[in-house]
Amino acid sequence: MSDSGVRGDGAPCKGAKHQLVQIQAPEPPVYWKSVAELHGAPRSSGEFPGGIPPASQPGTTRRDFLSLMGFTLAAAGLAGCRAPVQNAIPLLVGSDQLIPGVSDWYATTCRGCAASCSLLVKQRDGRPIKIEGNAESSIFGGGTCATGQATVLSLYDDERLRGPLWQGQSASWEEVDRHILESLQAAQASGRSIALLSGTITSPSTRAIISAWQARYPHFVHVEYDPTSLSAVRAANKESFGLAVVPHYAFDKARVIVALEADFLGIWLSPVEFARQYATARRPESTPSLHVQFESGLSVSGSNADLHLAVAPSELGLVAAALLARVVRKTGHVEPSLANDPLDSRKLDAVAEELWKHRGESLVISGSNDVAVQIVVNALNATLGNIGKTIDLAHPSLQRNGNDAAMLELVEKMDRGEVHALLMLGVNPAYDYHDPARFLSGLEKVALSVSFSDRRDETSSRVHAVCPDHHFLEAWGDAEPVTSHFSLAQPLIAPLFNTRHAQESLLKWLGHEPADYYTYLREFWQKNIFSRQQEVHDFQSFWDRSLQDGLVTAPPSHVPAEPGFHGNWKAAVASILEDQGQHQQTGLAEHYELALYESVAMRDGRHANNPWLLELPDPISKVTWGNYAAIAPAAAAKLKLADGDVIRLKTETGQIELPVLVQPGQHPRTISVALGYGRSKVGRAGQNVGVNAYPLVRVKDGHRQLNASEVTIEKTGRSEKLATTQTHFSMEGRPIVLETSLDELHQGRESNAEPALPTLWAARPEGEHAWGMAIDMNACTGCSACVVACQAENNVPVVGKGQIERIRIMHWIRLDRYYSGPEDDPVAVHQPMMCQHCQNAPCETVCPVLATTTSSEGLNQQVYNRCIGTRYCANNCPYKVRRFNWYNYTDNPQFDFNMESPLGRMVLNPDVAVRSRGVMEKCSMCVQRIQLAKNVALQGKRELADGDIQTACQQACPTQAIVFGDLKDPNSRVSQLQHSRRRYRVLDELGTRPNVSYLKKVRNPVKTT
Amino acid sequence: MSSTVTRVNGKAPAESAPEQVPMLPPPVWVDDNPSLRQITDDIARPLEVRPGTGWWICFGLAVAALINLGGMVAYLVAKGIGIWGLNNSVGWAFAITNFVFWIGIGHAGTLISAILLLFRQQWRTSINRSAEAMTIFAVMCAGIFPAIHVGRPWLVYFIFPYFPNQRGPLWVNFRSPLVWDVFAISTYFTISLVFWYLGMIPDLATLRDRAAGGIKKFVFNVLSLGWSGSHRTWSRYEIVSLVLAGLATPLVLSVHSIVSMDFATSLLPGWHTTIFPPYFVAGAIYSGFGMVLTLLIITRYTMNLQRYITVRHLDKMAKVTMLTGMIVSYAYLTEFFAAWYGGNLYERYHFVNRATGPYAWCFYLMVLCNVITPQLLWFKKIRNSVALLFVVSILVNIGMWFERFVIIVVSLHRAFLPSGWGMFYPTIYDIGILVGSFGLFFTCFLLFIRYLPMIAMWEIKGVVGLGAHKMALSSQEQEEPVNA
Repeated sequence: MSDSGVRGDGAPCKGAKHQLVQIQAPEPPVYWKSVAELHGAPRSSGEFPGGIPPASQPGTTRRDFLSLMGFTLAAAGLAGCRAPVQNAIPLLVGSDQLIPGVSDWYATTCRGCAASCSLLVKQRDGRPIKIEGNAESSIFGGGTCATGQATVLSLYDDERLRGPLWQGQSASWEEVDRHILESLQAAQASGRSIALLSGTITSPSTRAIISAWQARYPHFVHVEYDPTSLSAVRAANKESFGLAVVPHYAFDKARVIVALEADFLGIWLSPVEFARQYATARRPESTPSLHVQFESGLSVSGSNADLHLAVAPSELGLVAAALLARVVRKTGHVEPSLANDPLDSRKLDAVAEELWKHRGESLVISGSNDVAVQIVVNALNATLGNIGKTIDLAHPSLQRNGNDAAMLELVEKMDRGEVHALLMLGVNPAYDYHDPARFLSGLEKVALSVSFSDRRDETSSRVHAVCPDHHFLEAWGDAEPVTSHFSLAQPLIAPLFNTRHAQESLLKWLGHEPADYYTYLREFWQKNIFSRQQEVHDFQSFWDRSLQDGLVTAPPSHVPAEPGFHGNWKAAVASILEDQGQHQQTGLAEHYELALYESVAMRDGRHANNPWLLELPDPISKVTWGNYAAIAPAAAAKLKLADGDVIRLKTETGQIELPVLVQPGQHPRTISVALGYGRSKVGRAGQNVGVNAYPLVRVKDGHRQLNASEVTIEKTGRSEKLATTQTHFSMEGRPIVLETSLDELHQGRESNAEPALPTLWAARPEGEHAWGMAIDMNACTGCSACVVACQAENNVPVVGKGQIERIRIMHWIRLDRYYSGPEDDPVAVHQPMMCQHCQNAPCETVCPVLATTTSSEGLNQQVYNRCIGTRYCANNCPYKVRRFNWYNYTDNPQFDFNMESPLGRMVLNPDVAVRSRGVMEKCSMCVQRIQLAKNVALQGKRELADGDIQTACQQACPTQAIVFGDLKDPNSRVSQLQHSRRRYRVLDELGTRPNVSYLKKVRNPVKTT
Repeated sequence: MSSTVTRVNGKAPAESAPEQVPMLPPPVWVDDNPSLRQITDDIARPLEVRPGTGWWICFGLAVAALINLGGMVAYLVAKGIGIWGLNNSVGWAFAITNFVFWIGIGHAGTLISAILLLFRQQWRTSINRSAEAMTIFAVMCAGIFPAIHVGRPWLVYFIFPYFPNQRGPLWVNFRSPLVWDVFAISTYFTISLVFWYLGMIPDLATLRDRAAGGIKKFVFNVLSLGWSGSHRTWSRYEIVSLVLAGLATPLVLSVHSIVSMDFATSLLPGWHTTIFPPYFVAGAIYSGFGMVLTLLIITRYTMNLQRYITVRHLDKMAKVTMLTGMIVSYAYLTEFFAAWYGGNLYERYHFVNRATGPYAWCFYLMVLCNVITPQLLWFKKIRNSVALLFVVSILVNIGMWFERFVIIVVSLHRAFLPSGWGMFYPTIYDIGILVGSFGLFFTCFLLFIRYLPMIAMWEIKGVVGLGAHKMALSSQEQEEPVNA
């Protein structure tokens, strides 16, 4: 078994120390039967070593003939009996520490996006199969996001390249290396530049390698490019504070959060971290923070805000300026003169009042990529005294380093033919650059273009060499998402294919010896991180511990003083006003604006071939498999548009055609479109799903703007069906999601005195435990991490767009989202809904074959082998949480997703049965995890402790909205929550007695008097 | 029964009851007063000659639909019930609608043969045989749906309490109405089949005696179980008929009551209601009579049996149809009233949605067919017009199919949590299998009228001529003493 790329030193990791399983078997050993055979005699092979006696020989007797006939007859029949071909994963060298069926957990770092969350990955029988957050991380906690959960499936993507490509053809690494080295030498000789174009690089060791390139090649440029960048934040901070950084925000310390078009709970910068902080600051039992969201659409953050105010993208700067003016007025200084407020002045007054009241513990953020807006926001935060409190500029975030201006310049240089070699790491500009034609024409002028992409995508299919990087679960690595917070990444599996660390490629081409990235990484850590700490004195133990923990928090190398604000906010306000003036000249009321955003499922589009993410309903619109033009109900009525009508959106930069979705809460003059869809080369699942909206990105002052202030809408007359998982959004006045107000809660008016409904059923025999769950709807943000976590844990199949249009999604947990209030300014609520594990389960009595029963521990169990599929249980389930296998979703070419391919099926959890066609399935409350925890407790001769068992949805939840535990244990968290004044059970009046209870959503409206 | 005496209609023989007071003439159930031999000839004729073009056209269509059923069911079993339009919201739709529809159809047959026998209704004699055959075939059609609608039809035997039980504690769930259905329907089918067959034995013997020889003779010989026509045989035969009628009578009420419990015992608004058993029974009889009317109007033309299935028969059936239709209408009204008066949020919404939601057209079609159409039958002109009755009977069939569709699909598509709401749209396979079930039904029925006596010869002979008079007398004696 080859060791290359795998942990060479047998470093300890969580669970066990052993070699990783090598998937690709080396050359099979040659067996010999005799010495003569070994020494060169012709090897007898085939089915008939002695040869078949010819039937037509003159000496053939009747007996021979008959025996041959008999043989032929038998053989003809036997030919059909071929042993089935099975693709097993051979463990060529066994390990006494690898116990089949026992999972190991390894700490690593997520590369799903640049947020670089710390992870704990479950490895079972040599395969990573489940991603969890690393609860020991002080930044990210134990939660994850939907994208992070789904990255494990990308590992087993059939579309991944099997090895390097040269000029589009398979080649050996030596060959590719030779070509590239030759070309790099030529570059050096010609004096033309070598460029490395990468996404945000959070890895300090990779940055060190890049610095080495800079030293080695004088004409080397490194450009970091993010399709959805925060480059204006960096530019504004440079101007305001002298630091070109993205600060580290502390939402947990903020009493008032004002977000301007920044979906920090969904996608912005570091959503897992922010969601966690946000939830801790918003516990209704204490004094929850206030959240005001100004945005054009309705985002995850907006749906959680106490006050959601729709503003057009062009008005965002005005809002910031108006808030600044009010705050400045309160300080007694002269305010900038503003002609008029973009929206209801009283609301702005109230927001400014709240901000002022909580000076030093408020936080204003903006997702705008306009420097002027960001300077005004900085001025606001500085005036409010938030710098150094909720905004940490001394330990900035390193999660978004993209520099739009540098990227623009690089493309210019490429076009001018000044770039000899272009290396592209983790980027796909042919897809997401706002002017792909210009980029591609530049690319053609580059003498050597190299991509580290894992597949033939829009860019890598047009480069000279593709040197596929490992998937991060196969790779070593490190990250520094926030200054001084380091994390390590280690491989969970030997590389599935002939891929190579991008860092190793870079080292090799640099001429670094040894080129092995693992050695480099260790050395780098020894030099740079080990040296910064004093706790451990031996590097090996430091390394082992860091690898085991996955993270190290080093004391900062230098602590700069908190900078003071010295930006010119007056000029910024003037620039905003000038912009606004231009808009007013172009005709105000009837013109529409465009806002582009990253969707929670697709993010910037890099995971577009991940069927779990494609099928993940958008947290707000519940649309799967594609993007759409979100349009306000009023605008839809005015333009006579309905859901599914395909419209053409034209801006000055381009045009796209996509279906309409009428989105309550949308700004009436703004149309929102998700980025990340419409990949033309990504793989079978994601190919041409949705429409690519990147061509509508415009550039202003060197920054990519995800909006357009002028968009024309044309009807095409066509119509497309949107695959929506929830078709009705009103609760119809039913007591499903219950709400209370903060005042009522604190005054104790909300009573929990539920009269126990009488029942006709006899008491059930009770077991040792009574499993139950409590879901805090106040903490749930709707981020949908639980949905993908459940899918990964429980082998939930992907069914595709066509089936979702027919309402056949298989997800075991869904997030019901209801609106209340007026259509143009609704209040949204998210309700996680899964099997409620009723004690008097309506599904149970109607099943004719006892395929669903309630266990003595309160679990409603589905017995797949017993189920014949009458669907009576699903009809009688008031919660509609049962899912039927309408077809065979495994190994069925009709459903060409991960469960169709042998590689994709490697992600399946062996502890959970894959359901066949015709059976009902539903949430099992992760019964496999319950059983495992019980076994572990039994082996340890101890009682099960509260928290030993975490369901997949619970573990993934960044806000800890879901609590699972034993209702019989009065001290368990779930039991404690049963006493909450907010606790209720959905549809309890039906007498179903669910074991899942909910905690009411608490409303804390901003008083605008 | 071998008497060949013919008498003038309405005139009692002078010697039989000279001292009796004058009484109304017995009702005439067979036109033209045919001789008994003539009756046998008329009824046996379709079995002995080549069928006409009408029969062949109908049979061709029916067999085509049956072949379509076979193909579609094979595809269904091969691919999975995903080929239907069902979804997470609507787990039952066409298949269960068809099942309830066909089971309901069967009820008229049992009512005619059992209850009307006990009530000594003479008009049943012309129609009971074909109505019973209809029952058998309708239950057969109904029976295929529960079997094919499950996700794994090859395991459908799990639903039977099979012996010996090799599956440990896992057996059937006696709390599930689907298990009750299994018992109810298998009992119903068995009794109906026995009743139908037993009723045919004397006629089979007649056919045996008429058969020239060969296979036909052999088959009828076996089927008639050595019927001799002796007085002792007849006497026992009558008793057995009465006993079987007594057994079958509760089934008329119980089978559809149990079918209705599939819905009534659930939680779902629109299903969860105690009115369902009587409402379903009335609906079943209503739809059954609708179907009997349809069938008999077709057969009396194609088989030239207008003499035996007279307009007076159709009139009687139309009256039953009208009565049961009004019971059904009353049930509809009660449901709406209970939803309003009960004040249950979900139920109230359901009934508002039934009348105003996306499937409101189904509801109004149902009201048109099941509430308004029966009111037409108040008019004798309509009851006596075969063409209009045929239209009415078709409307009844359509209305009752839609009634079940409304109950099943409209209740399911918007249940408790609005997040789980969704529309059902049938696919070609939903519709194809529905059409196919009619193919099965009509294929069986057309074969029946071609190969078996579709009118009970021995019974109808009892209501013509002297028999009619005697029958009238005996029933009068029992009901009210003549000499007060």
